[in-house]
Amino acid sequence: MILLIGLNHKTAPLAVREKLFAGCEEKQNLLSDVLLLPGVQETLYISTCNRIELVAVVDGQMETIHGLKRFLSQSGGLTDKEVNDCFYVYRDAEAIRHLFRVSASLDSQVMGETQILGQVKEAYRQALTQNATGLVLNRLLHRSFRTAKRVRTETAIAANPVSVSFAAVELAKKIFGSLAGKKILLIGAGEMAELTGVHLIGNGAEEITVANRSPAQGTALAENFHGKAISLENISEALIDADIVISSTGATSFVVSEDAIRLSMRKRKNRLLFLIDIAVPRDIEPSADRIENVYLYNIDNLQDIVDENMKGRKKEALKAEAIVEEEVIHYNSWIKELEAVPTIVSLRAMAEGIVQSELEKSQGFLQKLSCEDREKVDNLIKSVVNKILHTPVAVMKEESSEVSSKGIIDAARQLFRLDE
Amino acid sequence: MTLLNLELILFQLSLSFCALCTFGYLLSLLIKRVMLANVSTWVLIIAFGFLTLNLLTAFINSAGPLNLGSRSFFLFCAWAISGLYLTFQFKTKTRLLGAFISPFILLLMIAAAGQETGKSLLPENLRSWLTTLHLCLAIIGEALFVLASCAGAMFIIQNGLLKHKKLGKMVRLLPSLHDLDRINHLCLLWGFPLLTIGIIAGAVFAGMAWKTLLPADPKIIWSFAAWVIYGFLLHQRLAIGWKGSRMAVLSCAVFILFLLSFLAVRFCFTTLHNFI
Repeated sequence: MILLIGLNHKTAPLAVREKLFAGCEEKQNLLSDVLLLPGVQETLYISTCNRIELVAVVDGQMETIHGLKRFLSQSGGLTDKEVNDCFYVYRDAEAIRHLFRVSASLDSQVMGETQILGQVKEAYRQALTQNATGLVLNRLLHRSFRTAKRVRTETAIAANPVSVSFAAVELAKKIFGSLAGKKILLIGAGEMAELTGVHLIGNGAEEITVANRSPAQGTALAENFHGKAISLENISEALIDADIVISSTGATSFVVSEDAIRLSMRKRKNRLLFLIDIAVPRDIEPSADRIENVYLYNIDNLQDIVDENMKGRKKEALKAEAIVEEEVIHYNSWIKELEAVPTIVSLRAMAEGIVQSELEKSQGFLQKLSCEDREKVDNLIKSVVNKILHTPVAVMKEESSEVSSKGIIDAARQLFRLDE
Repeated sequence: MTLLNLELILFQLSLSFCALCTFGYLLSLLIKRVMLANVSTWVLIIAFGFLTLNLLTAFINSAGPLNLGSRSFFLFCAWAISGLYLTFQFKTKTRLLGAFISPFILLLMIAAAGQETGKSLLPENLRSWLTTLHLCLAIIGEALFVLASCAGAMFIIQNGLLKHKKLGKMVRLLPSLHDLDRINHLCLLWGFPLLTIGIIAGAVFAGMAWKTLLPADPKIIWSFAAWVIYGFLLHQRLAIGWKGSRMAVLSCAVFILFLLSFLAVRFCFTTLHNFI
């Protein structure tokens, strides 16, 4: 059984996501720990700013499902109420559909955004490195990437630059009017921060400063924008000049404190300051929003703007959902076919056994034949066996993928006495 | 058609267009469509054109600015506010601000309609170039403060919406905080020196007419207090760096305070400035 357990921005508030994120990040060998749970055969851990999900191939026992849930809740130190309110559990087709929708960015906060596919790919890469996936999940992930690609090319879901960063640009315009000449401070050199920078520059912002823990990465990003790179220790000085601050580090504690902002506001003579905190856990102390002329938005706050901008994409999403459905059917067929495989293997083994035993019985006669003739007889027998088995094997595959494997497999096992 | 008739027709046209643009602006706020505010701005431009022609005809009819009537006083106030507001429209995208400004303009036009056309504003002994200058600059200065306060009021609303993350249609409709703050800033920056020169002109005239620069008159005290407080606000803005919401709140508070004081002075005290 394919199982998907997790929470996302729709089911869990930021505080709960933060707790679970921090808890899971602390676990060095998360995937190995999950694989050690009874009944878990394969697993994948997806963690983004909006979701934390475990995809696993399990034995289907309720105890296994509870075990996975317990594992996640204990990792994040969540209460029973939080677990009940925030977690969702999807099985088989539902789980496949959910993963495909996630990869195709249909379940994202900003529908159609491009980052999520990269994040799922990264999660898969991590799982591959740790040998946490097998036949089922490998195929599932490849199919999900294919689905995402189809959605992107066959629909206009990503035609308009609607994303968290776009929402941020829209907000910036409501604060500053024009972005011409505005100074940007990027804290963290992540993909999301970079994208926001691109959008802001596209809308007239001129000067970008990048503050990053890794100087090399910060410098590289700053060079892309013809800006300058600074270290995280110099953020306080950079705050004095900046108009827009975008923070998206992976830090587990606040990178920018309320006091630092308050102090900078005095030095910048109370010029308007727009802070966009797209990091989870948050980088900027939430109480900074109370400061006069400071506008602090976290990832959840951007949801409302995003909702408005998404209306135009909902039409395209209908087409995308149809593609997802098609792909779910394809994958499900494959999974069901997979259920017939052991029976087919047994059937072939049984036939092979009969052939071998009959050949042994006819050894006396066969030895009289030339090598060439013996080979011909051998091929003839194999061909007859293959032809006889072809129809039952094909019917088993068809029946398994289209209806259910249960009945046909039971019938085949009974008919050929495969269990004896 | 006589010039008097023309003046009357122009006044009626100005009043009608002012009423129309006020209706348009308020409706745009109600149905949350900025397009209607854009159209209303064009209607206000037409109203401003008629107002200008109306003032010109009044100027000709009264044989010069010294004899302008009390209706012209209100017309000039409406003309100054609408002219200044329209000037800001070249520099900023603040069309919706008209929804706050236009009711003031309409009220002034209605007040003008209540005045007799022929009646001269100033008594014979007060007619002078200095008093005209005093009046004009004081009106323009006060008009700028009206604009500063309206921009401040809109800033408070937009600021509240952005601070409380109520990011609905209203946020998209209202102008940006920066533009509103800029209007507030420019209005204080220009309003204060103009009011200062206006007050000095009045004081010089008072010195010549009544042999005292600052006669003990409630309206003079009120105006002087307004001047001091607006000066304080400008100082805080330029030197200390008060900006944004603090300036918006203070501008509105001071404006409301002075509007109430003005009404109290107008109706409860006798004053040397009892022409209107």
